[in-house]
Amino acid sequence: MQNSKVHFWFIAPALLLMFILLILPVIVAATLSMTDYSLGNSSFNWVGTDNYEKLFSRRSYAKMFSASLTYVLIVVPISVALGLGSALLISSLRIGNELYKAIFFLPVMATLLAMAIVWEFALNPIMGVVNDILRSGCDKRLIYGFFTGAWYGADPLQSWYGTACADRFPIWLGDKRYALGTIAFIGIWQGFGFNMVLYLAGLTSVPRELYQAAHMDGADSAWERFKLVTWPMLGPTHVFVITISSIRSFQVFDTVEALTEGGPSKSTYVMVYAMFEKGVRQNLLGIGSAITIVFLAFVLVLTLIQVYFVNRRVHY
Amino acid sequence: MAGITLKGVTKTYGSQSVLNDINLDIADGEFLTLVGPSGCGKSTTLRIIAGLETQSTGDVFIDGSTVNETRPSKRDLAMVFQSYALYPHLTVHQNLITPLKLRDLTALERVPLFGHLMPERSKKMSTISAEVQKVAEILKIEPLLDRKPGQLSGGQRQRVALGRAMVRNPAAFLMDEPLSNLDASLRVHMRAELSELHRELKATFIYVTHDQAEALTMSDRIAVMMDGDLLQLGPPDEVYENPTDIRVAEFIGSPKMNILPASCDAKGSVDCLGQKIKITLTNNKKQSLSIGIRPEHLVLQSGAKSSFSGKLTYKENLGSDVFLHLDMGLGNQKVVIRTDPQDANSAKIGEKISFGANPNKYLVFDNDGKRIDAKRKGKD
Repeated sequence: MQNSKVHFWFIAPALLLMFILLILPVIVAATLSMTDYSLGNSSFNWVGTDNYEKLFSRRSYAKMFSASLTYVLIVVPISVALGLGSALLISSLRIGNELYKAIFFLPVMATLLAMAIVWEFALNPIMGVVNDILRSGCDKRLIYGFFTGAWYGADPLQSWYGTACADRFPIWLGDKRYALGTIAFIGIWQGFGFNMVLYLAGLTSVPRELYQAAHMDGADSAWERFKLVTWPMLGPTHVFVITISSIRSFQVFDTVEALTEGGPSKSTYVMVYAMFEKGVRQNLLGIGSAITIVFLAFVLVLTLIQVYFVNRRVHY
Repeated sequence: MAGITLKGVTKTYGSQSVLNDINLDIADGEFLTLVGPSGCGKSTTLRIIAGLETQSTGDVFIDGSTVNETRPSKRDLAMVFQSYALYPHLTVHQNLITPLKLRDLTALERVPLFGHLMPERSKKMSTISAEVQKVAEILKIEPLLDRKPGQLSGGQRQRVALGRAMVRNPAAFLMDEPLSNLDASLRVHMRAELSELHRELKATFIYVTHDQAEALTMSDRIAVMMDGDLLQLGPPDEVYENPTDIRVAEFIGSPKMNILPASCDAKGSVDCLGQKIKITLTNNKKQSLSIGIRPEHLVLQSGAKSSFSGKLTYKENLGSDVFLHLDMGLGNQKVVIRTDPQDANSAKIGEKISFGANPNKYLVFDNDGKRIDAKRKGKD
């Protein structure tokens, strides 16, 4: 092998493709992020780390990081928990599990852009079905009492529901207090079915005999068996699901583009949307590339964490 | 320690019946083996005793009281699974401790961190650790206590699984094919160890296997099951010498018992492959029969004395014994004779071999495979 160069020829096609399709674009983006280049210009100026300094000093970019991180921190835990919960419920069903699987998986397969338009209608503050339903509860004493806390003697006007009934229900996508939460809700609705399918696959690989052993050992309640067998045996699935969910959440774009365009007052100005706005809409390729590089760094860190866990912790 | 009784246990899945009316009385401290081909219902029987499955009808008694409504953990039984079913994320020590923690600690004491504040916990934990230490010493797995099951060999996992069953000091051990994942030499070794363990613990062992050799070597009694029926229950010798059903006769013993077609006329004279057999049956009537005879009860004979002959097709040399396979025109079924290596030397493949049988050893079965009593007639 020492003198022969044959092995390079065998891996050359793969190396070449990887270089052209993966590494070269990253190098180009990294180079562009040091310039003030705009598409169509014949020349550009080197600006060094100016773009990065802007990213980490300007308030609008602080809002961008905060929006992306908040979105990830809302969507990942809830969609993972919902995915695991629904997978456990579905796998315990004797009949109808195929139906539930299909229903929960439907949003994953649907085009998010089309679904965003549906949500835009549903969340419309005046004609939307969401506020219609909320409003219809205001004059039902039972529902009003329950949600405002009037049942246990609280002042209805102190509660969120009470004030909303007295005044008006929120403009979900137009109010900066609610917009990011609403986008996150749609993200959860769209994403948890995918986690559910991954967890269902993970659950089928848990050996039946382990549950029987847990029964014999005295794990009488379902919770005990979950702690002793299900949760630890799903270790590899947890790592995969959390990583995939995090990366997908970082990549959120289409709902933002279709529903809020980053507003109101940059409350939903997530990273990929910022890339799109700077790099494509405003043709500021330098700053767009800088955001891209920072985004890649985030994803890389997540992937490294996953690799770490896969290697040391969760495989038995 | 306790005896276990099954009364009229049946199990059906939908319209398919997998257990038909199983009655078993297992004495305290007995080593009972449930043996049969796969799909015969032996594992289902064990799981019904364990409480992992519920019988369709019938009752299970442990120590005289019915446990039909008792959940598995409260039956005071321990089970060893074919796959060992060790918790892969826990160390050997944690695996052994788990059943004791679940039994002895209250739910509050098991809560992480918070549980350590409970007053009784540390006392209970030291008792538990002592138990685990004792069992680890018996099974010689102390050096393995800090390892995870993934780092153990098959035989070591087997010991840990046994240990997890032993720590609870249960009324009875249920074992579901515990040796079938081991390699052949280790399996033979573990047989001896299991028997020894049984003698030491003096506990009731219920052992499920499809390997008739395991059943014969280890058990006090064997229960042979087939197609959901319990065909015969008795000590290994008796099941081997006196099978009551042709299916038992064929299943127990290796190589298989030779089954030859025969017939009986109204006067009671029995004819097998054109030879008169010198036995009398208890019921003399015209019927077709099967005659079973084990390979070790056939002897090579030359000349006029011999009763049967066939063409030698294959010599199976096991070193200590040689099995001769003879074609007697029974289609695929060959007749097998056990011989000494010296006697087998002279036999050549393709030659005609003559042999006789020990007339005391003929086992006669009727058309339905049920055993018919037969006596040797006169002298040779």
